[in-house]
Amino acid sequence: MDEPLIRARALTKTFRRPDKGPGLAGSARHLITRKYTEHHAIDGIDLDVAAGEAVAYVGRNGAGKSTTVKLLTGILVPSSGEVRVAGVVPHQDRIANARNIGVVFGQRTQLWWDLPVRETFTLLRDMYRIPPERYRATLARLTEVLDLGPLLPVTGRKLSLGQRMRADLAAALLHEPPIVYLDEPTIGLDIEVKDRVREFLRDLVANGTTVLLTTHDLGDIEDVCRRIVIVDGGRIIHDGPLAAVRDELARERSMHVQPAVPVDLAAIRAALPGTEVSGEPGEFSIRFDRFAYSAGQVAAAVMGLAEIRDFRIDEPGIEDVVRRVYEGGLVESPTGAPA
Amino acid sequence: MYRRSLGAHVRASLEYEADFWILVFGVGLSQCVGLVFIGAVFAKVPHINGWGLWEVVLMYSMMTIGQGCSELFAEGSWDLPMLVNRGELDRMLVRPYPVILQVCSFRLGMNAFGTLAVGTVLLVTALARLHVHWTPARAAIALLVFASALVVKVSLTVIANASAFWLRGTISTFAAGADQLGDLTRYPLTIYGVGLRAFLSTAVPFAFVGFFPAAWVLGHGQSAWVGLLTPLAAAYCVTVAVLAFRFGLRRYDSAGN
Repeated sequence: MDEPLIRARALTKTFRRPDKGPGLAGSARHLITRKYTEHHAIDGIDLDVAAGEAVAYVGRNGAGKSTTVKLLTGILVPSSGEVRVAGVVPHQDRIANARNIGVVFGQRTQLWWDLPVRETFTLLRDMYRIPPERYRATLARLTEVLDLGPLLPVTGRKLSLGQRMRADLAAALLHEPPIVYLDEPTIGLDIEVKDRVREFLRDLVANGTTVLLTTHDLGDIEDVCRRIVIVDGGRIIHDGPLAAVRDELARERSMHVQPAVPVDLAAIRAALPGTEVSGEPGEFSIRFDRFAYSAGQVAAAVMGLAEIRDFRIDEPGIEDVVRRVYEGGLVESPTGAPA
Repeated sequence: MYRRSLGAHVRASLEYEADFWILVFGVGLSQCVGLVFIGAVFAKVPHINGWGLWEVVLMYSMMTIGQGCSELFAEGSWDLPMLVNRGELDRMLVRPYPVILQVCSFRLGMNAFGTLAVGTVLLVTALARLHVHWTPARAAIALLVFASALVVKVSLTVIANASAFWLRGTISTFAAGADQLGDLTRYPLTIYGVGLRAFLSTAVPFAFVGFFPAAWVLGHGQSAWVGLLTPLAAAYCVTVAVLAFRFGLRRYDSAGN
């Protein structure tokens, strides 16, 4: 198949917002003279995703990440432009598209609130007409990987956030969709559950599932995705391999050092020209360009001046990378202020 | 699937047995209020516009059963304003099942059982008191007409609630108002003026829930034959409901992120 699995061309979505004056008077006036402001949530997006690719879709709040996902899943009808997912136009052929995809919204559960998780799964089995043997096998696998056993008899409302997310992941994957959209899947989860979810996503990608992951927690994508698409103001401002973005923009590392006895920071600055040393003589940080110094060189230079009790190196988060894109590191600044 | 969803809700609700019986009882009571009113009226006058007590009870019972069916099959549609405004429709839109049915089975009106019980008792009693000449053909058509009448009622509830796609309030005031129009047709349509009569039999055909079907079964009045059009009215209402959802979903904006 030549066509990419997900293909969007010049996709836009414009919301009309009522332009009300403040307070009751403003609302009343709005009833008579209607004024709207147009808000371009998505402003001309071109995106191709090949089968089996795992793409990180990253941006600040209000950048248009979720709106893109809603257009690709057929929840919203685009204002203009084209979109095809596995040969189907999602908003026109919603049901055919729904069979191909699994969707997880981090902020919103898809479980039936007042039903036990097991009942939710049975309803989904019927909805997708999953053959019984297939269903049993998939459920058994998901139960094991996501440790769902204790959750099955519990109603949706009684699950903790972490439990809910595990059940939600299973609910999105019961029908083994070839395409999975994850919208902020780790939002609000504690580290332990986050790690588990990320590991699960890695396996999912390894098994050939096409994944589009939106997030602003950049730990998610380092584990799962090779390609990163950065959006802002409804436009794609960068699209390329994750590693390249890291090399280009995430050159800076920090080493945090606790010496056994206080040292003179000026001496360290002298030993490592071009770095930035901050903090106290008893505990300080050295920011360095990883292409100018290796971590070993920095550590050796410090050890030449003081005995080190403890030290730690911060890998650059993609968060910093994105911030630097926004600061103008990669592309010209985008048009339109996000909400 | 639709049945399973509703069934699951019944099971969930039955876990609270006492609640269930209180609900059934409460609903029975509220339905009886309407009956007391009818009883009081007929205690003073033997006929309203040529319609006797049991004839009016027949209409009343059809409307009551219709209401019970709405509570049973379309209670979830009352949640549509909430679903639309909070963007909760998203999850239904990514599932391969018609949204209209997912919405309707979103919740179950547990009062349905009380309402249906009262309605059925009234229907049976009224039919027993009224001397209808039943033939197999007549019974078969009556079944079709009654079933269609219920479809009309359920569809009208869904249509009224589909207004939520256009009216962005969080409570279904408009829908509740529209639904209460139906209460007008618990009584003989002939007592109303021409305009209201036309309105209730065409634009918002509540008259096809109780009045026309009852008139046909009883063979009462010149327009008794109109009851035979009930299946058409049902088809019309279902079409409007489905279209309302189709166009409504195109307007759906989701919410937040």
